[in-house]
Amino acid sequence: MISRRDTIVGYLVLSLAALISLGPLLGVVILSLGEPGKVGIRIDIAKATNFGNYADVWEKGDFGAAIQTSAIITIVVVVLSVALSIPAGYAFALMNFPGRTAIFALLVLGILMPLESMIVPLYLDMRRFNLDNNYWSVILPQIGFSVAFGAFWMRAFFVQSARSLMEAAWIDGANTWRTLTKVLLPLARPQMLTLAVLFFVWNWNDFLLPLVMLSGSDLQTAPMALVNFEGARRTDFAYLGAASLITIAPVIIVFMLLQRSFTRGILAGSIKE
Amino acid sequence: MSQRVTFDGVSVTYPGMTSPAVSNLDLEVAEGEFLVLVGPSGCGKSTGLRAVAGLEPVSSGRILIGDRDVTGVAAKDRDIAMVFQNYALYPHMTVAENMGFALKIAKTPKAEMTRRVEEAARLLDLHDYLDRRPKALSGGQRQRVAMGRAIVREPAVFLMDEPLSNLDAKLRVQTRTQIATLQRRLGTTTIYVTHDQVEAMTMGDRVAVLRDGVLQQVATPDELYQSPVNAFVAQFIGSPSMNLVEVPIVDGGVDLGECRVSVTRDILSLAGSPRVLLGVRPEDLRIDDGGALMRVQLVEALGADTYVYGTITTPDGDVTMVVRTTPATRPSIGDVVGVRPERFYVFSAEGEQRRLG
Repeated sequence: MISRRDTIVGYLVLSLAALISLGPLLGVVILSLGEPGKVGIRIDIAKATNFGNYADVWEKGDFGAAIQTSAIITIVVVVLSVALSIPAGYAFALMNFPGRTAIFALLVLGILMPLESMIVPLYLDMRRFNLDNNYWSVILPQIGFSVAFGAFWMRAFFVQSARSLMEAAWIDGANTWRTLTKVLLPLARPQMLTLAVLFFVWNWNDFLLPLVMLSGSDLQTAPMALVNFEGARRTDFAYLGAASLITIAPVIIVFMLLQRSFTRGILAGSIKE
Repeated sequence: MSQRVTFDGVSVTYPGMTSPAVSNLDLEVAEGEFLVLVGPSGCGKSTGLRAVAGLEPVSSGRILIGDRDVTGVAAKDRDIAMVFQNYALYPHMTVAENMGFALKIAKTPKAEMTRRVEEAARLLDLHDYLDRRPKALSGGQRQRVAMGRAIVREPAVFLMDEPLSNLDAKLRVQTRTQIATLQRRLGTTTIYVTHDQVEAMTMGDRVAVLRDGVLQQVATPDELYQSPVNAFVAQFIGSPSMNLVEVPIVDGGVDLGECRVSVTRDILSLAGSPRVLLGVRPEDLRIDDGGALMRVQLVEALGADTYVYGTITTPDGDVTMVVRTTPATRPSIGDVVGVRPERFYVFSAEGEQRRLG
């Protein structure tokens, strides 16, 4: 039973949290509309009228191409990673095969390894396969990192999803593929969408890997384009703010489109425990 | 086509366990029969059922459906339908889709599928709910959808794993009758698992009692009640349970407290020990001044029947007894009354506690 006092306290805490996370973003919005060419950070709402900054930045940073590159990489990574995480998670959760525990342990170890520790050998490998300065030099390692987490995540779903539902499907004559696609995955939609959003955010924001892999080519991702606005000695903060918002806009849009699906629990009513 | 089911020396041992969950089970379920597997929790009844379904691998022995050995056959190819304890309805499908899922997989023609789903829905009074999702149904309706899903398959065998245990008491009694009637109408071989001996007795053509994975006795409900093979079956079947008292053998019979119960020498000679178990059903104890003295501790008046609980002092200490009596002859708490067995059973006090007479 939630008392009235608990509700009020809950709202207060959540409002404070919202303020803390939204405050800086609001600052960046005001900053991005400030007068270009000025030195230093000025957050002045009265002068926040320079909407032209966005067009300038778009032009100067070549954001059209950068966002396209980011989108190609991110979409391919998200789609393939989710598609591969599902069967991997299913196998780890429900199939008995020799070495299951060992392989899963190895996978978890992969999640724990920081990218920085393997970026150099990774680059050398990509160059040996003639994949450097190519989309695949970013996409393939990203899929590797993502599936490690994705298999872990989907395994958790398959382990806790009702075993009797699966058994009911087998008895109804469904094979593994059909049980997975017609019975389990419709229930896993919130998990799959959450995974897709996480992959999207991680990949879109990733800077180091594309920087190392693509620096010899014309290709640049949105975060790479953003960095061009940070000068060595002098930074135009109005432009930097505008460029930041352009870079993160797709993430915000994707998150807003999908966030409602997270909470939709559709398992209700299926089984009575 | 309904088929018979044969357990031929079936054992199931779970990985990592030393003793089998089901041990060397030999049992034949006749075509069209309603067989109930009953026993306390952990006795292996569900495991046995799941072995027929193909959900548990058999460690040794064979399972036959009709004349076909299905021991190594996948669940989906066994032509069985199962009703789960938690119903296991597909939450994202409507009632009609739930019931038709198996037919869809079997590529049944659409018209035929609709006909069979509607027929099952009519039989189970689900016609108005065909477009609903499981979460919009009551517990009883969900249970019926689970039944419907089994019926539309027209399988060789129905397997039911405690299908009523999630319903409230009143609905359980109602549904019990419905399932039994339906099964007789469809004539499909059914194996039904329950821990509730009342369900077993009221529904089954025959009842198989299991204990620790071992089949104790399989017989009609009446036969189980009248002639249990051992003390376990005797005590498991019947409510309240049969009174079981370990008593010393004396000249001409046994002593229950101060009351001598005469037992023939032939029976007592089988005991092989100086003591036996005396079993008396509550309805076979009569309140009688010449009987064993019982101090009344609790009186349960249930209307037609009254159950009197009390203790009898024996040389080994006090034992609790239950007596069924009528409201007219009911004693009060604290009274000391005499009770005399009119019918009784004698079991060996050792080993499997087999019935001697």
